[in-house]
Amino acid sequence: MEINTLPISASTRGKLISTGYTSLSSLSSISPSRLAQDLRIQESEAVEILKVASVNCGVGNSDGTRAIVAGAQTAWDMLHEEEFARRITTSCEEFDQILGGGISLKEVTEFGGVPGIGKTQMGIQLAVNVQIPVDYGGLGGKAIYIDTEGSFMVERALQIAEACVEDLLDNGPARKDFRASQPNLSAKNLLRDIFYFRVCSYTEQIALVNYLEKFISEHKEVKAIIVDSVTFHFRQDFQDMALRTRLLSNMALKLMQLAKKFNLAVVLMNQVTTKYCDGSFRLTLALGDSWSHTCTNRVILYWEGNERYAYMDKSPSLPSASAPYAVTSKGIRSSASNCKRIKLMQA
Amino acid sequence: MGLLKHLERDFPIIDSDFQRFCASHGILSDCFDFTQFHLILALAIYPHAVEDFLFHDLYVLAAFAEAQSTSERLKQGITQVLTIIDGQHQTWFNGMELLENHQRRKRVLRTGCVGLDLLLEGGLCQGQLTELVGPSSSGKTQVCLQAASNVAKDIGGVVFIDTGNSVSPKRIVHLVNNILDPTPGEAKNRMFERIMRCILCHSVFNIFSLFNVLHELEANLRLQSEEARVQLIIIDSISSLITPILGSGSHGHALMISVGILLKKLANEYDIAVLVTNHMVGRDGGTLKPALGDSWKSIPNVRLLLSRVSGDNKCSMSIIKHPSVCARKQKMR
Repeated sequence: MEINTLPISASTRGKLISTGYTSLSSLSSISPSRLAQDLRIQESEAVEILKVASVNCGVGNSDGTRAIVAGAQTAWDMLHEEEFARRITTSCEEFDQILGGGISLKEVTEFGGVPGIGKTQMGIQLAVNVQIPVDYGGLGGKAIYIDTEGSFMVERALQIAEACVEDLLDNGPARKDFRASQPNLSAKNLLRDIFYFRVCSYTEQIALVNYLEKFISEHKEVKAIIVDSVTFHFRQDFQDMALRTRLLSNMALKLMQLAKKFNLAVVLMNQVTTKYCDGSFRLTLALGDSWSHTCTNRVILYWEGNERYAYMDKSPSLPSASAPYAVTSKGIRSSASNCKRIKLMQA
Repeated sequence: MGLLKHLERDFPIIDSDFQRFCASHGILSDCFDFTQFHLILALAIYPHAVEDFLFHDLYVLAAFAEAQSTSERLKQGITQVLTIIDGQHQTWFNGMELLENHQRRKRVLRTGCVGLDLLLEGGLCQGQLTELVGPSSSGKTQVCLQAASNVAKDIGGVVFIDTGNSVSPKRIVHLVNNILDPTPGEAKNRMFERIMRCILCHSVFNIFSLFNVLHELEANLRLQSEEARVQLIIIDSISSLITPILGSGSHGHALMISVGILLKKLANEYDIAVLVTNHMVGRDGGTLKPALGDSWKSIPNVRLLLSRVSGDNKCSMSIIKHPSVCARKQKMR
């Protein structure tokens, strides 16, 4: 194995190669002080290099009893794991249905749509719903809300949280004593468990995504990361589009990794843009073609007449389908009940 | 430690006498740090040392050796060094041997997508790197999952390297149920479990961990037993690992090419079919082209373009590059 494939900085790599350390085995039996001397670097740096090299070097020696790739899972094991997987509900039955029962953990789901379609509402709703206690069929987790546009309204979040608590108490387990034993279930507590980050530039956004791994390993209860919106800072002041693609795809991989490693859902909000296609302009989600590959699932929110619809655009396991939903004072709800209310009001 | 000195440890015939003899004929014996496993690297840095040995007229060398008192030992030493050097490169094949090797060891794996198998005249070839290119939601992952299920059913081991958390066991169950005999029973359940156990998934989120996985795989492939042999490696998608490093200096480029070379090496040496997916990027003027640029183009043996008619569930597939099949198009579901 060559030095080239080690995750070390370009300058260090250059020094290693120019002093003749081109293979991992040449690093395997050398002392840090000798290396530091040869490379004219600090000894601590040399220790770091050797650490990286030894991690990568240990890979080759196996005894044959181990699996062919360490850390791999068979589809059989994954299937059994998935049987116990729970999902985050959107509070709208039809919406959940096209998502296969709700937002799934370990995946990155992207929502996109025109302004005012309810992306932020959906974000807040999910941040609240992820906290529904296990006894009520939820996950009992916490949420990280990354706000890049400054559109998170705390009053609105309180409203949605109150409605959520109300619904739970109405529909949840009916036993009185049970309800009494759930003193934590209040809108205030729901708000307390949303970790809110306000991000003002794309540099901050990338730094935050890099920091999240540390943050989440200290807060293991986090089950959802919501980024509203992932697009905002990447749509302005970007001259070098190649750099943008690189940064975005790197960030997407980091988010994927978080989703898998900590078993949580990542929800990204995206804006729309126009695209010239077949002689006409059409609306598509922003950030370009490369970005469209990076998410596991993609849901497009759109208007049809006076009703809001969600369309499952991309998913490895679910068929394309659409469903109506509504944004009410209580948050995201089924469209049917909303229509009824309008009719009642008219009558 | 010099080249010959190093070899002396393993092969007693190359003793100090022999080394002195070599040195007297201008064969450098003391100039580089050399291990058997890194001849290629050594060649790159000190090509003259090995060349010295290979370029020397061996008859002249042997004649000189005759004149020495310890001629027998010296001649043995020369032969020994030459066999060591021979052992470093792959064996030479002539056309007939290649053909036989191809027919005996390289199988064609059916993917289970009727259209794709027809198009490729059988399916994915072992020893080749096949690439699927297509825009978002054109069915690349679906083809991968389908191929994984079908190969697991027909032959055996599949390694699925996933970068987008898109391996959905439920979807695999669905696909496996489609290809299995519909009558339920004990045999079917056992078959089902065997198939599911044959598919090995690994999540990879950066290029360096991909290298780790592949190197580990390479080390373990030598030891694998015949019945659990890995037949197919899928990387979905390789472009999402490479895009973040591409363009930031030449190193990213070097990594991309070494991934390609490593995959092809695995495919060839261990008779594995490799399937990777790549995405599309917009070109000036709104048309799409495969990502990763021109130098990646030459890496895959077979390139297939997937496309989907918008608003329609039909996907179509066409060959961009194939060593033996001419370009054409095929509809698939």
